[in-house]
Amino acid sequence: MNKEVAVIGYAQTLYEEDADASREMLTLRAAREALVSAGLKREDVSTVVTATNDYLDGRTISNMRTVEPSGASQKDESKVEMDGAFAALYAIMRILSGFHDVAMVIGVSLASVYATYLPGIMILDPTWDRERGLLNEVSAAALQANCYMREYGVSDEQIASVSAKNLDNAARNPLALRQMPGLSVEQVLDSRMLYSPIRELNAWPATDGACAVVLASGKTAAKAEKPVWVKGVGLCHDSYLTERPLAVMESLKLAAEACYKQAGITDPASQIDLAEIHENFAHEELMAYEALGFCEEGKGGELIESGITQIDGGLPVNASGGALGANAVCATGLARIAEAAMQVVGEAGDHQVPGVKTALAHGQSGPCAQDNVVFILGGD
Amino acid sequence: MKADEDLQNVGRVGLPLAPAFNWSVGNWMEQFFDGLKERKIMASKCGLCGRVFLPPRMICERCFAKTEEWVEIPETGTVEAFTAAHVRVGPDGELADLPEPQLIALVKHDEADTLLVAGLVAKNASAGMRVRVVWNETPSGALDAISCYEPMD
Ligand SMILES: [Zn+2]
Repeated sequence: MNKEVAVIGYAQTLYEEDADASREMLTLRAAREALVSAGLKREDVSTVVTATNDYLDGRTISNMRTVEPSGASQKDESKVEMDGAFAALYAIMRILSGFHDVAMVIGVSLASVYATYLPGIMILDPTWDRERGLLNEVSAAALQANCYMREYGVSDEQIASVSAKNLDNAARNPLALRQMPGLSVEQVLDSRMLYSPIRELNAWPATDGACAVVLASGKTAAKAEKPVWVKGVGLCHDSYLTERPLAVMESLKLAAEACYKQAGITDPASQIDLAEIHENFAHEELMAYEALGFCEEGKGGELIESGITQIDGGLPVNASGGALGANAVCATGLARIAEAAMQVVGEAGDHQVPGVKTALAHGQSGPCAQDNVVFILGGD
Repeated sequence: MKADEDLQNVGRVGLPLAPAFNWSVGNWMEQFFDGLKERKIMASKCGLCGRVFLPPRMICERCFAKTEEWVEIPETGTVEAFTAAHVRVGPDGELADLPEPQLIALVKHDEADTLLVAGLVAKNASAGMRVRVVWNETPSGALDAISCYEPMD
């Protein structure tokens, strides 16, 4: 893609365990601040895509009363019942259609008001796995981690290194929920065991929060103060978790290939300066390294050991702290886009990586990262 | 968030909404459940690519076609992976500690191409171990007909 759509504004709320605000107010804050960031007014927005989830809200039409604080009153509006990163893809498509100039994308959820692990059971096959009562998001991820570790000889220490890195990075991000400066691999391995090998610090924290991103057409973005161009997008869906090989993230690999083709990326490890990966569980980040072509298949554990993905390494991954640092469901993948854009603009503050020109953002949805979307963003 | 914004939430109310749903499991799952009641493990097979689905699926997504064949599957298989559950999701939707860790396995039945998730009762569990179904002596229906898996030797 050549200067057809750009991210021109973004905002995230503080990520909290129990925010003293309704989802409407979190949405309003993110939307208003994203417009300020874009230098635009609500009137300039022509289409709004929200990402919320009925089962996280205990109701149907989960965008009722969050549409208005998104700025969508009497505008073209639609909702994605997945992560906001998928909503961003739909917003890009609406702009590429030529019918819309500026799009607002918002993802929001409040973990403090729903039963944390029940939604992860509701997404399972209702005719069998849901009723059998053994699978949930965490146990499913644990089975995936075991498949991956067995196939490629990845160690508990290598997986814990992801948590140690991301939660230490989170300490530099004032918005992150789980800030653990100097966290060691041993401390991660000492945290509460949930489903082996997944421990508390290998898994996402329940989080309240919202993220908003403003996207614009090439014509409008060229006039913006800090356009971050969408160079490529790739989306891919995979089979249900018991019907696919779990040791690889095939759909992420295919999504990345489609994205890289549009963006002219042939050597991801050298052409990408920074990546924000949606890792709900620590082992997923290692699997993503492989699927994204940062290293060869099965070498994710060795890549983290090399230090390249540390914040001061050659290819920093999750300088923000990633989903392990804060995971407001529906906002998490969208926040990866906001963070990647922020790094390209140079506004990331204490977790800014110097000289980021090309950044990758990833979003996922479904048990064991069933669906994946990949974006390449760049400054010029 | 700005200090001058009076945006704070005043409180929360419980939502007294607890609808119960019935789910149409589809003809294939119904036949699978009927089989389980007789201790038979029935799987569907794609006539185009030969893929065998357990639990049975009505559609082979790769071939974009309906599965038409039925095959009876042996009650033996191989553990692809397992996890030791130290917690379970409690009725409140939070993770509660279990008194003893319990094993959950991904099992590939012989002659099937997809995986079943079930409990595994074994002293020295390992990936790749051969297992067989332990049938529930007093099942309340089809869903609990398969109690768990145990090592073959
Ligand atoms: Zn087929």
